Amino acid sequence: MLIVIDRHSGQPVYRQLLEQVRYQAASGILAPGDELPSTRALSARLGLNPMTVSKAYGLLEREGVVERRPGRALVIKARAAGDLEDERLEELRKALAGTAQTVRQLGVSPEKALELFADLLKRPEESE
Amino acid sequence: MTNAIETKALTKVFGQNVALDALDLAIPAGRVVGLIGRNGSGKTTLLNHVLGLQLPTRGTCETLGRPSDRLDPALLQQIGVVHQDNRFLDALSVEDHLHYVSTFYPTWDHARRKKFLEELELDPKAKVKTLSPGNKQKLAVLLAVCHGPRLLLLDEPVSAMDPIAREALLRFLLDMLQEDPCTIVISSHVLRDVERVVDWIVCLDEGRLVENVALDELQERYAQWKVTSPEGNLPERIDEDYVLESDGDRHQARLLVRDGAAHQDAFRSRYAAEVQASPVNLERIFPALVGGGKR
Repeated sequence: MLIVIDRHSGQPVYRQLLEQVRYQAASGILAPGDELPSTRALSARLGLNPMTVSKAYGLLEREGVVERRPGRALVIKARAAGDLEDERLEELRKALAGTAQTVRQLGVSPEKALELFADLLKRPEESE
Repeated sequence: MTNAIETKALTKVFGQNVALDALDLAIPAGRVVGLIGRNGSGKTTLLNHVLGLQLPTRGTCETLGRPSDRLDPALLQQIGVVHQDNRFLDALSVEDHLHYVSTFYPTWDHARRKKFLEELELDPKAKVKTLSPGNKQKLAVLLAVCHGPRLLLLDEPVSAMDPIAREALLRFLLDMLQEDPCTIVISSHVLRDVERVVDWIVCLDEGRLVENVALDELQERYAQWKVTSPEGNLPERIDEDYVLESDGDRHQARLLVRDGAAHQDAFRSRYAAEVQASPVNLERIFPALVGGGKR
């Protein structure tokens, strides 16, 4: 599981961890049944306070992204296809919110923006 | 959970100068606290009271459950301290110095000392007087942790270290916390380093407690807003009381806000502006905490 923490971004570390695991679970990089590193192992690897990791894990469990089984590692929870789709759309919505704002700031019409977006979707190699 | 440190209306007056002003502070055991504040804000005075090195003018200070002016050897043996200006026995080697100090502590862990010496890359044969300021700080930290303290007080522990040594020391503190949880109070100006290890922030300003909050919560409380008004509706001065700093013109401005999330919609409709919120780090929040910004 690749987690990249930026301690100086101002975003709480537990939240960075939470969002990255959530994103990876939504995108399928982490598949149902995949085990998460133990709190201890992950905090040692990332150089974090173990409480930070257990706070993120606790929230992921409450959200239903992971499940805890007695005496075993946390695993990514299997979800219904519809729920998974909802999670993906939610991740996409978050990623696009800033773009939508830029479109409004630039005064580009929604039609033009959608046209451009459709174009970029077709040819990802030119999206940079 | 018991408190490792608890002060009630702790006040210290030096002549005309109020160094600590009716400080009510409780630090539960197990917390890793960053003690921040400008020079002369009372950080060191507070740590000296915790150790019983200075006595309150008024109020009380309890350390590990005991009034700090009555800490006995059994309790003092459970505390580790790194002072801002450590004094060493300069003629000794690192090794001999560690051995000398170890004799005061029944719980001294020699295996730990060996491991830490290697991790911090200190030469045990080197004479203390020949050590660089950074290496002296490392030695001071070693002297403070090898007995496995329940309470560790670090006053500016990394100020003399270069970035690589700072990184090594922080890593070392984090590893130590993994195997042996204890209460740590780190005072530092280097906010980037504080941000890495602590889970709690205590901020002093002119002897008063201005913030006592989980780091996560502090980070979530403050944000930077980039606001844009296509029509140029932004006022010269943005005077909403949750706006601590602002910089910009009628069309665009950058704001530092406190508890801004609740006000975003109101701001948007009042100025017909777009708001883009992003997180801010401790270095950016700090001036607002200590009165550099508007309160």
